[in-house]
Amino acid sequence: MRAKYIQRRAFLAIVCSIIFGAAFSVLAAQDFKFPLTQDSVRFAVIGDMGTGDAAQYQTAQKMIDSRVGFPYDFVIMLGDNIYGGSKSKDFEQKFQVPYKPLLDAGVPFYACLGNHDNPNERQYKPFNMGGESYYTYKKGNVRFFVLDSNYMDPKQLAWLESQLKSSPASDWKICYFHHPLYSSGRFHGPATDVRQVLEPLLIKYGVNVVFSGHEHVYERVHPQHGIYYFTEGSSGELRPNNLNKTAVTDKGFDTDRTFMLVEIAADKMYFQTLSRAGAVIDSGIIPKQPRTPIQ
Amino acid sequence: MTKKFYRTGLTFLFCTAAIASGCGRKTSSVQQQNPIPAEQQNADAAGFKEFSDRVNDYVKLHKSQEVLLPKLKQTELPEMIAAHQVALERKIREARANAKVGDIFTPAAVKSFQDVIESTMQSAHGPNVDATLKQAAPLPKMSITVNEPYPDGVPYTSVPPTLLLIFPKLPDEVVYRVVLHDLLLLDLKANLVVDVIPGIIP
Repeated sequence: MRAKYIQRRAFLAIVCSIIFGAAFSVLAAQDFKFPLTQDSVRFAVIGDMGTGDAAQYQTAQKMIDSRVGFPYDFVIMLGDNIYGGSKSKDFEQKFQVPYKPLLDAGVPFYACLGNHDNPNERQYKPFNMGGESYYTYKKGNVRFFVLDSNYMDPKQLAWLESQLKSSPASDWKICYFHHPLYSSGRFHGPATDVRQVLEPLLIKYGVNVVFSGHEHVYERVHPQHGIYYFTEGSSGELRPNNLNKTAVTDKGFDTDRTFMLVEIAADKMYFQTLSRAGAVIDSGIIPKQPRTPIQ
Repeated sequence: MTKKFYRTGLTFLFCTAAIASGCGRKTSSVQQQNPIPAEQQNADAAGFKEFSDRVNDYVKLHKSQEVLLPKLKQTELPEMIAAHQVALERKIREARANAKVGDIFTPAAVKSFQDVIESTMQSAHGPNVDATLKQAAPLPKMSITVNEPYPDGVPYTSVPPTLLLIFPKLPDEVVYRVVLHDLLLLDLKANLVVDVIPGIIP
């Protein structure tokens, strides 16, 4: 009886979240402007950047320049932070040098592990992982859940559930990890097995936004079960023309490197995706979905 | 025009509800259900028990060597992380100099792993597991040797979560890894191949 009641509530919540998701889909802003309110949470998003080549440096420079007009406080890294090895010179060429002005300015980076990362990167202090391959932190009214999608074992899933459960509904809940649950990239495609075990938790506990990398393109997909998904996997690497836009694609870009700027002010998330050349690729405003965790 | 609008709206609502209902049921059952029949789980239990005992013995050895080194704290110096990894790797390699394939993945354990992998691949979860394995970044030609480090800079293949749900749970010191068709047991801090089952992944 009770199981039926819970099932019915879960079903209703999912349907409502989809309907609200459709109704509150990204408001394309013609004259997009960040509000830059005093207590807002502002950050940059990069993924698959650690190549150490000129393209990474140019994208990093554009990101550094953009801080003048949009003073973000921290950077989230979506994995593949250091390609090709974990020697001292790799960290230097692929992280310390390209992002030096930000590091010097005290801008913290919060990394997740990609499939090209040595798991011992979690001990590297500037990545702020606290020695763990999955962790959580809070900025203002936003709770971030950083996961290791290379190894989504029952222990990590149980940890995530306990953390999501204890996070108040008033907070924005943002998850980020390397492998995208939804993707129209030709090279890898969506991580469907990870999706099967992870998505029920994201839905159940009202996660608002998910960021991933892995596919070397930019993609924003239509909200899935009321959750907004972004793939930002081209801040260093790029697979040109690799995006096979599908029914889930809302916006995609695969001809240059990109990074994202995000501001969360009260119940709205403002985002802008910029190319290495500084062109605006995508922008919009996402209202916080009226999603209640299912008990 | 208005009728068409309502018809489209109703179709949309019906479709979203149907999709949501289907997905909701599917995902929650996936999370809870072990695709391996109970009878087979019992049959495989002895092999997995033997494996877990060997893993625990290995972890004791790992810990006995790790305490000989200065504790690695979070650091801004990558060379410190690399040095600790190499020092631990060397100590463990010396401590189990005669390590060979099958020390941890014993024949009974291999049989149990084979059973659950085959059953999973034949279950409704098979296509997703297969897709995860096929989505891996291409790997260079490489040789995996027990008691040798995992090659630096070579990407990892995601271990399908469905398999992680049914494989024996591991202590924090070690993880499962997949390299092409091989299943590895890897020491995370030492980046050392502890044991391997060659060719078990279809």
